[in-house]
Amino acid sequence: MNSAATGSQVKTKHKSVSYDKYGYFFILPFFIVFAIFGAYPIYFTFRTALTDAVGWDMINNNHIIGFGNFAQFFDPSSAVYPRFWGALVNTLIIWIPNFVAQLGLALILASWFTDSRMHLKFQGGFKVMIFMPNIITAATVAMLFFSLFNYPIAPINTLMQSIGVLSSPFEFFRSTEWSRGIISFIQWWMWVGNTMIIMIAGISGINPSLFEAALVDGCSSRQTFWKITLPLIKPILVYNLVTSLVGGLTMFDIPQLMTQGNPNNTTDTVVRFIYNQGFTGSFNFNTASAASMILFVIIIIGSIIIKWVLSDHDDKPAKAKKGV
Amino acid sequence: MKKVLSLVLALALVLGCMSFAAAEDKIDIVVWSFTNELQGMVEKYYAPNHPEINFIYDMTPTADYPAKVDSLMASAGASAEAPDVFALEAAFVKKYVSSDWTADLKDLGFTDEELAVAIPVMAQIGQNAAGVQKGLSWQSTPGALFYRASLAEKYLGITDPEAFQEKVCDWDTFMETAAEVYEASEGQCKIVTGTGDIWNAYQYQRSEGWVVDGKLVIDSELYDYLDLCKTLIGDDLSWDAAAWGETWFAGMKGVNETLCFFLPTWGLHYTLKPNCGLTTNDTMSEEELVAAVEADGGTYGDWRMVEGPCGYSWGGTWIGANAQKVASYDDAKKAAVHDLIYFFTLDDGFLYQYAQDSGDFVGSTVVVDKIVAEGGTPNPFLGGQDHYGMFAKAAALANGSLMTEYDDTINTLWGDNVTAPYSKGEADLDTCIANFKAAVAAAFTNIVVE
Repeated sequence: MNSAATGSQVKTKHKSVSYDKYGYFFILPFFIVFAIFGAYPIYFTFRTALTDAVGWDMINNNHIIGFGNFAQFFDPSSAVYPRFWGALVNTLIIWIPNFVAQLGLALILASWFTDSRMHLKFQGGFKVMIFMPNIITAATVAMLFFSLFNYPIAPINTLMQSIGVLSSPFEFFRSTEWSRGIISFIQWWMWVGNTMIIMIAGISGINPSLFEAALVDGCSSRQTFWKITLPLIKPILVYNLVTSLVGGLTMFDIPQLMTQGNPNNTTDTVVRFIYNQGFTGSFNFNTASAASMILFVIIIIGSIIIKWVLSDHDDKPAKAKKGV
Repeated sequence: MKKVLSLVLALALVLGCMSFAAAEDKIDIVVWSFTNELQGMVEKYYAPNHPEINFIYDMTPTADYPAKVDSLMASAGASAEAPDVFALEAAFVKKYVSSDWTADLKDLGFTDEELAVAIPVMAQIGQNAAGVQKGLSWQSTPGALFYRASLAEKYLGITDPEAFQEKVCDWDTFMETAAEVYEASEGQCKIVTGTGDIWNAYQYQRSEGWVVDGKLVIDSELYDYLDLCKTLIGDDLSWDAAAWGETWFAGMKGVNETLCFFLPTWGLHYTLKPNCGLTTNDTMSEEELVAAVEADGGTYGDWRMVEGPCGYSWGGTWIGANAQKVASYDDAKKAAVHDLIYFFTLDDGFLYQYAQDSGDFVGSTVVVDKIVAEGGTPNPFLGGQDHYGMFAKAAALANGSLMTEYDDTINTLWGDNVTAPYSKGEADLDTCIANFKAAVAAAFTNIVVE
């Protein structure tokens, strides 16, 4: 008996020692993948931004020249200054209306779909229809809208003329407002379904007893939304805002495929600028990398601001909040 | 006993390997291309008669091709896996023939007499700034002007191509004709689809290319081009639509009345003909064709071709040799590489055969003249006109020395910043030119913009 007890003790000790390290094996794949596809490219981009790498022959065969490539983005007399900052302004002008409309509509739809008092019929059908544009490839969507709004003979122009809105064909893609508006609309149309689904998931995660209590206490739908739903989906809201910021500032495919930055570079986005620097002209990899790093920093700052604005700034200790 | 046996076997193995290596004493030629077309041609026409050569092919899609060539040439241009010969496309041929990576073809044994038979415009594009021949074309792509005979007769009263050529002999006359067509048709017929059509031809009207001695040059002809574009749009002489768009193809099919299209050799076979509204196949007999055209012909048979206001070239593929490897060649290898390039770009027998097989326009004036002298290639699509002869005429007019390695990007910047806004009356000329110069300066660190 004595020896048996000793034996089991040894066994237990042995077990606990040998299982500990397996945790690392389970998290290892993430770190390997991140190192190869995340950390290394960022390092490589940063390093390239410090070099004189221009053209494919210099991509692995260049010299560090310091921060000159970064400095040109803050020097108004440089060739890239107006293009980069102009592209950033374009990107924001295209992104902000799309994002406000997207978040607003997604919130309204999500609260309708989850409202137990409304009992919406054909919910699944609506959700699929609203989400559908997100499944279509951006290239297809760009070609679709390009064909619709083309000039001089295209569906929208023909329709507008036949109902008497236009007397002669209008060249939508030579108008700054229309070009930006169409891109903004496409971004909204493609992503509103995605935002809505995440919002629905967030709202579904709220304890139903809270809604039931609100119902018993006689809350109106509006009160329930503002006092219960919205405060409790804040983390989801932060997630949506940050992903939308990242997606918006890195906008590339629709402007590239539909307008190529036209008219007069007013739909030229930051990533189009980076692409054109890196892969057209004299293949200025260094300038393109520096612009990428600046965009990277802008996105980080934007994300921090969003997180800060949407978090509670009370001085209450974190522990006290937990109980609420 | 075992030891002896193993020794004998080992010896046999070593000897076997040595004799095997001797038998395998073939010449390796590494061929790089961006389509499998070159490989197919080598395998079909060349490799069967040259068993002493061991071909190693490498195919990289066009979009990635320059990246692959550049990085290898910079790091290991003389290594075994580096290409001996490589195909070069119009978009980047100038870049490579201007660099030190492509060999002077005379270093391979090409003589002046051999090179003299190359189609001049294609040969010029294959030369560097000093006129050293570094690439030769195996697909020549001179351009011409195609017009619809029925519309020319209806609105201009012209029935034969020579009379039409007089109507489009230079750009001023071309614009007069544009106005004439507009008036006669009351705006129903336009001379071209849009300004994009004109550009491919008009750029050959310049006397200097985009970049001369590292400096951006805006040739005075380009200002005339802008005025021409502005008139085309302002006076409603074109459809104001883009090439490769719906309106453009509608003109080919005859849905709208568009008189002229500027297209090169491939444009006739792969763009105009497939979009004329009649799906033919080459096996159709003449009677079947006539019946099909009458039933629903689209514009089949209604097209004629002339040289147009200026000669030009659009596209093409060149072959060049790797200078870093050529330097270390022995005589046998040098002869083999010379023979390969010669065969596909200048060899009479092969090019004649290939032209018969494919209908492509080849790069040797001798062969082109021979085909034209034999009656050319009467084409029912062109109402029996000989397109080979006409392309030969057009090819002689074009000046390939205008092409630079910067053309692709600069042409896009010119169109976006100058042609479109100026011709549509959105901005004045000075603003457009200033924007264009700023755009070029931002895109190229190696061009001086004044």
